[in-house]
Amino acid sequence: MKKIINEPANVVPDTLEGLALSDPTLVYSKGFEVISRKERREKVGLVSGGGSGHEPAHAGYVGKGMLDAAVAGNVFASPGPEGILEGINMANNGKGVLLVIKNYSGDIMNFDMAKELAEMDGIEVESVIVKDDVAVPDSTYSTGRRGIAGTIFVHKLAGAKAEMGGSLAEVKDVALKTIENIRSIGMSMSSCILPAVGKPGFTIEDNEMEVGMGIHGEPGVERTAIRPSKELAEILVSKILEDYDYIGSEVALMVNGLGGTALMELYILNKDVHELLESKNVKVYKTLVGNYMTSMEMAGCSITLLKLDDELKELLDFPCETPALKL
Amino acid sequence: MNLTSKEYMEYLVLAAKKIDDNGNYITSLDAITGDGDHYTNMQLGFSKLTENADEFALLSLSECFRKIGMTLMSAIGGSSGALYGSAYISASKVLMDKETIDTPLLLEILSTMLDAIKKRGDADVGMKTMIDALAPAVDVFRDGLTAGIDSSSLFEAVKQAADNGAQSTKDMEAVKGRAYYQANKGVGHIDPGAMTMAYQIETLMDYISEL
Repeated sequence: MKKIINEPANVVPDTLEGLALSDPTLVYSKGFEVISRKERREKVGLVSGGGSGHEPAHAGYVGKGMLDAAVAGNVFASPGPEGILEGINMANNGKGVLLVIKNYSGDIMNFDMAKELAEMDGIEVESVIVKDDVAVPDSTYSTGRRGIAGTIFVHKLAGAKAEMGGSLAEVKDVALKTIENIRSIGMSMSSCILPAVGKPGFTIEDNEMEVGMGIHGEPGVERTAIRPSKELAEILVSKILEDYDYIGSEVALMVNGLGGTALMELYILNKDVHELLESKNVKVYKTLVGNYMTSMEMAGCSITLLKLDDELKELLDFPCETPALKL
Repeated sequence: MNLTSKEYMEYLVLAAKKIDDNGNYITSLDAITGDGDHYTNMQLGFSKLTENADEFALLSLSECFRKIGMTLMSAIGGSSGALYGSAYISASKVLMDKETIDTPLLLEILSTMLDAIKKRGDADVGMKTMIDALAPAVDVFRDGLTAGIDSSSLFEAVKQAADNGAQSTKDMEAVKGRAYYQANKGVGHIDPGAMTMAYQIETLMDYISEL
């Protein structure tokens, strides 16, 4: 393992302290592992969080027009309720708090517990669950579909609504509408190494890729030989279009890197995805290319499509200013 | 058999060691069906308990269990933290005003923990989780106590039930958690969460057998 770290046990606090030092508008609550906005104003608070290792998610999206607080757990493990409660408190300015939760068993349990604790303290809390990964079938019985990079669009649009002065119910409605219209799928070419474990979680041959792999290295739908970018675009986009009809719509597109893939490659993929979407009569209104939801140093990417209407476009175009996204 | 906070914390220190001794094995199980962090997160939680053992040993049983729950919840994190946290916090309510834990009360505690874990995790027996080690142990404990078998046979049977339960997850399909995403739902591999649950029950049974 070659990583720029000190004690593996301290990677989370060290990361957050470093992030806070990079942006004077942020505050770091040590011990709770929460990053929040220094400036407090009367608006609905937006809180997200989850396991670490997906930087810049979620702390990198704290700032004007997006999150008010982000709570970090250990690498790939949900934060506990105490940390989440601290996040809620830091985001609460009297108009209620919305929790944006990715669909993983641990996150849901811990956020639910924190929500119960906050409600006992008299804070109005609502929550939404993001499940955008089409690699997994949706289900109410099992854990079901995972939450991945599409979550960033939920932060963006719900964050805009909150910044514009929307009520808790309105902000929640925007989040739900975004979730309804969002689909993603990933692809991985290498494993990542958990700092506390020190060796790769799985192996994948040099000439192979795994389509549909999750952001914690969860297995995908197919392991196959690596393909040219054009074919990869075809594989990923068709999985999304099989699941949800974007034909004839305007969309926001995110070409996301998992942390270990060069931006050069993401731009190449973006070109191919654009051409493909155009040929299928899907109009790209806005594009984001970059490392937005990562798996540390994992090589690979994900594609996210969000179907837009006038309301969502206005929210997407609303300015935001965070360490990881400025629009 | 009578446990106070002092003995319970002694048991937890031994459980921490048992989990630690099997760290590589747990990680290897979790690398196959999960994301490889179950041991490191459990270790964070249980080492926090070991650090605080002397302090918690001085508390009332109810307060001691509540502290254990809060510690595990924040230090382990993830699903396991929430589940163990809920288990201990529920048990702390059963222990209100109790000064010692005798054998029937220990059964009630384990049974309360099982219910709390099922509720928090929205899960049940047969889903390839920690429940599959705890539930059979509680059943065997209840049956044995009702039948009035002697303590040492009872504790041995509970220990066996937990281990058999953990082993039985090998053939199960995961419904909850990360193993669910495996193409074969983790079939052929023991659930690491069931294994660490079995380690705790085994350690507890061995410890109380020696008292």
